[in-house]
Amino acid sequence: MTDATTHAVELVRPNGETATIRAEAGETIVDAAERVDVALPYGCLYGACGTCAAELLEGEVRHGRSPRALKPSALDEGYVLLCVAAPESDCRLRVGHEIQAEVVGTPWK
Amino acid sequence: MSTDDHSHDAEQHGHEHHEVEGPGYPTPAAMRTEGGREKTAYVMAPRVGMEEEGPDMVGVVDLDPASDTYSELIDTVEMPNNGDELHHFGWNACSSSCHAEGLARQYLVVPGQRSSRIHVIDAEDPRDPELVTVIEPEEVFEHDLSAPHTVHCVPGGKIVISMLGDANGELPGGFLQLDQDDFSIDGRWEADLGEMEMNYDYWYQPRHDVMISSEWAAPNTYYPGFDLDDVEAGKYGDSVHIWSWDDREHLQTLEFGDQGRIPLEVRMSHNPEERQGYVGAALSSNIIRFYETTDGTWDWDVVIDEEPREHEDWEMPVPPLITDILLSLDDQYLFFANWLHGDVRMYDVSDAGNPRLVDQVWAGGLFGDRQTVQGEEIRGAPQMLQLSRDGKRLYWTTSLFSSWDNQFFPDIATDGSLMLKADVYPDEGRFELDEEFLVDFGDAPGGPARAHEIRWPGGDCTSDVWQ
Repeated sequence: MTDATTHAVELVRPNGETATIRAEAGETIVDAAERVDVALPYGCLYGACGTCAAELLEGEVRHGRSPRALKPSALDEGYVLLCVAAPESDCRLRVGHEIQAEVVGTPWK
Repeated sequence: MSTDDHSHDAEQHGHEHHEVEGPGYPTPAAMRTEGGREKTAYVMAPRVGMEEEGPDMVGVVDLDPASDTYSELIDTVEMPNNGDELHHFGWNACSSSCHAEGLARQYLVVPGQRSSRIHVIDAEDPRDPELVTVIEPEEVFEHDLSAPHTVHCVPGGKIVISMLGDANGELPGGFLQLDQDDFSIDGRWEADLGEMEMNYDYWYQPRHDVMISSEWAAPNTYYPGFDLDDVEAGKYGDSVHIWSWDDREHLQTLEFGDQGRIPLEVRMSHNPEERQGYVGAALSSNIIRFYETTDGTWDWDVVIDEEPREHEDWEMPVPPLITDILLSLDDQYLFFANWLHGDVRMYDVSDAGNPRLVDQVWAGGLFGDRQTVQGEEIRGAPQMLQLSRDGKRLYWTTSLFSSWDNQFFPDIATDGSLMLKADVYPDEGRFELDEEFLVDFGDAPGGPARAHEIRWPGGDCTSDVWQ
């Protein structure tokens, strides 16, 4: 499946394992993963909660709704929200439940 | 009378409420003395942000010491979707509907904090609850509300849920009203939000025409995790709001400022004659008492004030973080949890404005001298509390909120959280951890989960209001 309207999305897990899924035009990466039963963390599904935060390693994605859970600094560092992000090109993403906490850090520590 | 009874005959209480059957108890003392021992617990158990993905569930825990499965998770009700973050929940009916004939405390209203999806579970058979209704998020967003939190049944056949955000997860929140019969959405409860922007928990006392609501933050502020920059930017709450219960209007704001950062759980006295209560301010880690004054306005005092503490692995002194508070049904004892420090405190509040610390139990957290129970590491620290009706057993779970857990106690995400218990001796003013009791939500069917709010059939210390 390599037609022009879909993009390959490589998901890199904390243990180094990878899974590649294909997202259709405008399809969020969470939806694309659900469609083929690939597990990704998510919560609100509208960009407010940050559970689905991931790091974009290569390629481009476009947020279809405001990624409210990410501050401008986090967006600058390449974090994206997979529940509202659709790929604009083939891309590689670092995913996993701990990225949400990594984005915010731990107060007082 | 079995503790798991959902309704009871008022005659058994010698209670002059026209012998109608209702879902509650005529007085807090009736509930305390006649409610019987809790034999079953329902425990919210989200899996949001866990290493192993899966749907959230409501766990059923056996609390009957005579049972072979005592202190075990005996059933689970899985949600149909992932990502809800079950958090707080409530009954379709409680003692506020004591006179309502034919109404039973039968349905649990179980919101998803992150998804804004609202589930209804039929618990007619206390040991075999089943999901019966789902209100999808889109139906909630239509009312420009999101992030459902506190569920109370209220007189007049309604259920009112505090909502923390608008349909985009921004401020202001509000209150959503459901119908008790068919769980359809009526619309917004409030007639006038007034100055209220942030929302969190609420308690109400119809006898004095008052509701008190507290403040966390906008969902898109607290959902992603706790960031001190957001506190600096004024994005976290520092006030409680006084409402007219009858008119559904905001009347007064009690602004605490630095003396009450992030006021969360609101507990008014169970005695309906009283015009006072307490709120735990999580970040400033103090307990604030609020009360009605002689001119009918409300005022407040800080009555317990805790200090941050240095920890060798942490750069800055760490606050205790009071995340839950609870009043015994006789209004004699106040318990609260210090989720970062790792202790539960017990105060004598018989002199309401002058609480007296009587005991403390440490278990987990940054400073607990006890870090294991039955050889199991205590992941997290004391958090959501629930007390038996007779005031003799205190239970708690150790997870706060998925994103905050992952910042402060990341082990919960891989191995799940725990439910623990302490035996309370109210006549002696002390309590101690029961080492025989442990429910490890790391072993839950379907994968590890974060145990959160606890309730039992028949009502508890944080469910019922008396008119």
